[in-house]
Amino acid sequence: MRRIVFPGELLSDKRITSRGIYVENGKSYAALIGFYDDEKEVFIPLEGAYEPNVGDLLIGIVSDVKPNGYVIEVGLPSDTFMSARDFREPLGMGEIIVAKVKSVSETRSISLADPAVLKGGNIIKISSVKIPRVIGKKGSMLSQIKDATKSKIIVGKNGWIWIKGGNEYLATKAILKIEKEAHTSGLTDKIGEFLKNNENGDEHVGQ
Amino acid sequence: MSGNENIKLIVDGKRLDGRELDEMRPLKITAGLLNKADGSALVEWGGNKILAAVYGPVECFPRHESNPYKAKLSCRYLMSPFASKDEHGRAGPNRRSIELSMVLGKALENVVMLEKYPRAMIEVFIEVLQASGGTRCASLVAASVALANAGIPMKDLPVAVAAGKIDGKVCLDCSKDEDNFGQADVPIALAPRNNDILLLQMDGLMTKDEFFKALDYIEKSAPEIHRLEVEALRKAYEETDAQ
Repeated sequence: MRRIVFPGELLSDKRITSRGIYVENGKSYAALIGFYDDEKEVFIPLEGAYEPNVGDLLIGIVSDVKPNGYVIEVGLPSDTFMSARDFREPLGMGEIIVAKVKSVSETRSISLADPAVLKGGNIIKISSVKIPRVIGKKGSMLSQIKDATKSKIIVGKNGWIWIKGGNEYLATKAILKIEKEAHTSGLTDKIGEFLKNNENGDEHVGQ
Repeated sequence: MSGNENIKLIVDGKRLDGRELDEMRPLKITAGLLNKADGSALVEWGGNKILAAVYGPVECFPRHESNPYKAKLSCRYLMSPFASKDEHGRAGPNRRSIELSMVLGKALENVVMLEKYPRAMIEVFIEVLQASGGTRCASLVAASVALANAGIPMKDLPVAVAAGKIDGKVCLDCSKDEDNFGQADVPIALAPRNNDILLLQMDGLMTKDEFFKALDYIEKSAPEIHRLEVEALRKAYEETDAQ
């Protein structure tokens, strides 16, 4: 059974290593609000900041231009720097890129690699712990939104989502709805219905 | 704390507002009511109204205070100029609120897992909109709910409540008049998981026995406050369920 747990709540008498769980005297306690499954011993956080891992795909914004490269903002406490040699052409401030996390240092500052520049489009920012729900099982939720709105969507693990073209307004609405209801079950069907009901309205906004 | 002998604070075994000695004022907590903050809480406790907002982890400011081993917890407690009947002067920090900011920050540092965010900063803003005695305890409750709501890893959800001494008797959760005309005020914050004391101050005088009686009252009321904190956090999710 899945139950909602709160910081300080005893989860198990065994040691469990997972995000949002801490171990004291051999027992595991919750450190965040989240769902805990007693049988599978899985903890899913409901709130929390982005924690970088190697290989994560991130959306970033160029926040400063330096003589030899760019400062990229990705929603972490510290900004990251990318050399101008990583890009084919010079970038300007405010441009959107997508890149992979190459390494994470001990103090949680990251370095990025394999960047691509995203021309145009908008970014919406949601909580990073809700990204798995936006993608869905084997990408089912995301492809459903893409099919209904005909938008190009790239989801960054840092909770930043780039949307371009199609019915941007509806795609944004749907993703914000997922963020708000990420803890409920049967979400893919609910969003499917939402997309169907709103398919023809509100297209004039957000274009 | 001078203890004005002319004012009777206990009449026929009841306190001025009709409470028993070990009874708290009604407490109401709302979580997640600010959209732009990472986490927030509103605590309405008797005549107190306290809003807490948490942002973080964010870049450490000032930079030289950043620590490569753990995050900095910056806590700001402010009492608004219209918070109570007394003159609070102009808005902004004063001697009292700077001390309280430090005290609350140190209390929260015991439970917040700061080592998860090296070089970063976690900001806690506490705004006292309406004050009626016991604001530091109510602020700590608000801050702990807001931190949990923000998804900052914590070892426990701290609870806080004050005990005091009025007309020579120990009582729980002093109101403003009891605080001003009583003989002592002891605010204590606990980690309810193992009853660790996170904050302990004493204003006025108490004997050892009276102090342990006060601690006993507080430890007995801690589970109730903790239950209300958890309910507030749970409700923040149930409301979206209903829509």
